[in-house]
Amino acid sequence: MFDDPAVDQLYAAYVTLATELSVAFERIDTLERLLETQSGLSREAIRNYQPDELVSAERQRQRIELAERLLRPFRDFREQRIARANRLSDTSPSD
Amino acid sequence: MTAFKQHPMVPQTTHDEQARQDFVSALRGHLSGRLMPGAYQIYAARVEPAFRAKHGRAPKDEHEVRQVMTQDPYYQFWSAMQRRSQELLWESVIDPTERQLPALIDRARKLGQRGAAKRRGRLRLDPQLTVPKYHTAADIHLQPGGYHTDFTADDVAAGAIYDKGINLYMGGALGEENNLMGDTLLAYVREKHPDLKPRSILDVGCAIGNGTVVWARAFPKARVHGIDVGAPVLRYAHARAQALGVAIDFSQQNAEHTEFADGSFDLVVSHIVLHETSKSALTRVLAECRRLLKPGGLMLHLEIPRGRTDIEKFMYNWESYNNNETFSRYMTDLDLKAEAVKAGFAADAVLVDEFTPKLDVAQMNYSEHFFWKILAAFNR
Repeated sequence: MFDDPAVDQLYAAYVTLATELSVAFERIDTLERLLETQSGLSREAIRNYQPDELVSAERQRQRIELAERLLRPFRDFREQRIARANRLSDTSPSD
Repeated sequence: MTAFKQHPMVPQTTHDEQARQDFVSALRGHLSGRLMPGAYQIYAARVEPAFRAKHGRAPKDEHEVRQVMTQDPYYQFWSAMQRRSQELLWESVIDPTERQLPALIDRARKLGQRGAAKRRGRLRLDPQLTVPKYHTAADIHLQPGGYHTDFTADDVAAGAIYDKGINLYMGGALGEENNLMGDTLLAYVREKHPDLKPRSILDVGCAIGNGTVVWARAFPKARVHGIDVGAPVLRYAHARAQALGVAIDFSQQNAEHTEFADGSFDLVVSHIVLHETSKSALTRVLAECRRLLKPGGLMLHLEIPRGRTDIEKFMYNWESYNNNETFSRYMTDLDLKAEAVKAGFAADAVLVDEFTPKLDVAQMNYSEHFFWKILAAFNR
């Protein structure tokens, strides 16, 4: 639909991702409901859960790791652009 | 969202498979209810004024509208979403079908053998039948293999995929048994031809028989036939009808030239079939319908409208340019009444009518002003 086919691919992947996220949300919802009825773990307890310092630190590490993985292509892209710019400004080895 | 009736031929879904289908259905509803109307608003507020400013006039036809609308970012965005939603629709119903296909084929065989109520519905396939090019040239509405492809022996996959797939297509609006179109045409008959009591009914291009079942139930004393060129959809249709306890004879025939004798039927119907044929096939189908009608018999074809304004025509033709409904755009300027007259019907016996069902915007994919088009003709 777009002049650049990459944009079509991006939208296609984005919609697929949203679909799978919806599936995951339903799975979580089912887990919570079954846990509540079958093992007494209430959704209230889930809603009110406060992670302790150890758990908070672990989760913070996981967030940073996810952000790094998501954004790695941009870092690679930046490094390539800088490297290319440096190559262009280098004097030729034959000089 | 209307729940889909889980009859014995419908594949079971796992937790996640159902969640996936439910999201696709909700996405379709959101796209048509909340995003599609924006294309019309953008056209009125930006695209058409810009065209006027540049050319000193409004776009003169649908093609000029297409040239400018396809460049608009909002239209491009909605269009990309609409296309992906159609692909996801098939993906979400294919997985459960593939997973259970051997069991479905077995069930179809067993249902096919068991009689339905007092009278057994028959299934007759014709392996020698040539599937027309308008089916084989492209996967109609992106369904892999279309209506006609057998992926294995005694296949029913195309039927199972189509049954659940079309239900997602309109966000559940087709009803729990996909009977909206049959119900609409029946409602038209009850309103316009209340004395009609057909004793023999033919549904052409019946696919899985979702429309056919409506007529068989409405006229339980009638002999009801459904024909289609696709073997897997017919096997599914037959098993489905048996499972629902409805006696219908299904056979693999091409509506352009069937094996029935002259004057075999009081009533010949079709539900959104004509736009999936071709220019020459349409002519032959209408002529064949006339040959098959008893004197005084009625032909009724339910069709999707093609739009009144140029922007509507452009939007309705999205399916033709982006969803492998290749022939449908040629119906935009087709004079269906003239085609019926060409097929031998008397001009005063032909009517191209409009009929409005009760749908909300979330179920109308291409326009908020939806009505069904009906080609009606008596064989006088």
